[in-house]
Amino acid sequence: MRVTNAMVLRSTLLDLNQSLSRLRASQADLSTGRVIRKMSDDPTRATDAVVIRGDLRRAEQRSRTAADAESRLRLTDSALVSGLDLLTRAKELTVRASNGGVSDPAGRAAIATEMSAIRDEMLSIANTTYLDRPIFNGTAAGAAYDSSSGAYLGNGAAVIREVAAGTTIAANITGEQVFGTQAGPTGDMFAVLERLSTAIAAGDLTSIAAEHVNLDDATGRLSAATAEIGSRAARLDGIRVRASASEADLRERLSTIEDTDLAEGLLGVQANENAYTAALQAASRVMPVSLLDFLR
Amino acid sequence: MANISGLYTALSGMQAHRRVLDTTAHNLANQATPGFHRQRVELRAAGLGVTAGVFAGTDNALLGVTTPGVQRLLDQYAEQRATREYAAQAGTQTLQTNLDRIESTFREPSDDGLAAQLDAFWAGWSDVSTHPDDLGARTQLLERAQGVIDALRGASTDLDAVEQSARVEVDAIAADINDLAAQIADLNSSIVATGGTANDLLDRRDLLVNQLAELSGAVARPSALGAVDVLIGGRAIVTGTTSQTVDTSGGVVTWTIDGAAVNAGPSRLQALNQTIGDIVPKYRAALDGVAATLVTEVNTLHSGGYDLSGATGRDFFDPAGLSAATIGLSGDVAGQPAQIAAGAPVLPGPTPPGPLDGELAREIAAIADRATGPDSEYRSLVSTLGAQVSDATRRNSVQAQVALNAATAADSVGGVSVDEEMANLIAAQRAYEASARVLTTVDEMLGVLMRTGVVGR
Repeated sequence: MRVTNAMVLRSTLLDLNQSLSRLRASQADLSTGRVIRKMSDDPTRATDAVVIRGDLRRAEQRSRTAADAESRLRLTDSALVSGLDLLTRAKELTVRASNGGVSDPAGRAAIATEMSAIRDEMLSIANTTYLDRPIFNGTAAGAAYDSSSGAYLGNGAAVIREVAAGTTIAANITGEQVFGTQAGPTGDMFAVLERLSTAIAAGDLTSIAAEHVNLDDATGRLSAATAEIGSRAARLDGIRVRASASEADLRERLSTIEDTDLAEGLLGVQANENAYTAALQAASRVMPVSLLDFLR
Repeated sequence: MANISGLYTALSGMQAHRRVLDTTAHNLANQATPGFHRQRVELRAAGLGVTAGVFAGTDNALLGVTTPGVQRLLDQYAEQRATREYAAQAGTQTLQTNLDRIESTFREPSDDGLAAQLDAFWAGWSDVSTHPDDLGARTQLLERAQGVIDALRGASTDLDAVEQSARVEVDAIAADINDLAAQIADLNSSIVATGGTANDLLDRRDLLVNQLAELSGAVARPSALGAVDVLIGGRAIVTGTTSQTVDTSGGVVTWTIDGAAVNAGPSRLQALNQTIGDIVPKYRAALDGVAATLVTEVNTLHSGGYDLSGATGRDFFDPAGLSAATIGLSGDVAGQPAQIAAGAPVLPGPTPPGPLDGELAREIAAIADRATGPDSEYRSLVSTLGAQVSDATRRNSVQAQVALNAATAADSVGGVSVDEEMANLIAAQRAYEASARVLTTVDEMLGVLMRTGVVGR
């Protein structure tokens, strides 16, 4: 084939241009740290990257939600445990009063006063708040219990938190589950404590004995609630551990897809730089030569 | 007699090779001129014709050399192929540029594209679900919704801009087509006037045809007396010395005569038509689909929910804004975070929901995970776009190579080679010198003859 100067020039230019653009691409791989910078770099893998990025962002959001659920459950648990302590004390007092060991009215009055104080303290535990929101009132607004009458103001709704993809957990337990319903024949825990206090003050041993049974029931309910909250917290813990493991896994996959392998990137730059330098040298040798150089 | 004619034979050699030298100089001077093809002087021995006649001698047939003309050397087939491939490459290049612009509108994969905005929006719902009574969380949700709205509207505006600049480019191309067609027709008439032998005019016309081909995919067809007809999509825009014109309005090119659309071949015009008529509408429709799904799915749930004051039946997004350009918040919630419905209509169990219920917000946040929600529609949009851009880039780089090969093939016949011209230069120089030498010799011989005459008298 006949070769002309314009041909040499044109193909040299295109080759140099391609060589330089490869060098630029591998340099960008290194300087941005990413091999996939836009969708067209590798449509299939870039689509994976978009999906994984979305999954990651949602996983982060769920982990925030799960952290909120965990704080709630922990606060609920500690409230219930203090409630149990109070009930233990109430039981001690009841036993002391029912044994007839306290026969003088002043002693009974002291026990009755303490019992009444326990009831009030229990009521304030029932109104424990998390971020200004009572934890035992379901989804109702305002306080869970009326602080003087002890009437339940909440509802029986569950506070649902999505803590992992497709996994929800109830982050609350309602006042009625913990303290009993007021509608029942024996009323809730506050009614029991109040009646106990009255009975002790009056020295009514029959009533005290009857309320003792009710107090045991209330204690049983409270322990059951504590156990339930504890097991939920344990479940949530497991979910969070798994979630953070899968989040780490997602990050690793994203990095495998998107990020530049440093060694590979450096080699790429080196190889493309060599190729470009060689192309430039070859061009500088070939292009200026013509028969003119050899004619007198 | 023979001696005198020898003088003229030598002269014809000197004249012919002077012309060869001139042509070589012309070739060298034009070696970088776009569209130039090397020229070669045709040399023909002039002694072949023996005139039959009474006084015709037998030895006066050696009349030296004549130059019947100067030829343009080119491979017509290779030239046409180069024209076609360069036109196609102008098209693939234009297409790639436009697709690149569209791709840069959707910055994916990244942490600030629409996918991230949507995820932030869903996270906002999730936060409202966690703290339904927190006006801060609700306000933040409104901000994030505005972020999604801005991203959708921005993408829509960018698509409009791509389309608009394509239309402006088409208008400019139509003007260029008319201009080039008129120039080609003019050159046709000049060429016909010179009998089709004006090499440099031919080169100029071929160059204009190439430019017209890059714009519109035009093809040239030789016609009578050295003129060419130029056709776009099978219809003649130049016929001999007359040319047609095209009109344009808003990016559509039509024939002036009958208003029919110009059917461009692979070229910039075709690529722009494809951008305006196919690519931009396709991605705008996909983007509008994302917006419409987002509005519909959120509103369907939201209108069934309860806000902080227990009111229901409100839309979150403006139900009329079902496209990326018109999406907006509904008047009910814009600037009124308390009116965002976060509470579910009915909870499992007999208990009615309280005002601090966040179940509905949680359901709305879960739209993110739907297999056919706005997020998956958007992902399929960007993944389709990525595949198309990558395909267009590959096609363009292949076409660049094909065009280069075609140009190389054409160049290998028509291009100027400096080495070859130098060789021709030396050959012509030597031939000129030799002819001059003959002239001197004949002159000396005549001198001898003259002196002999003087002495003999």
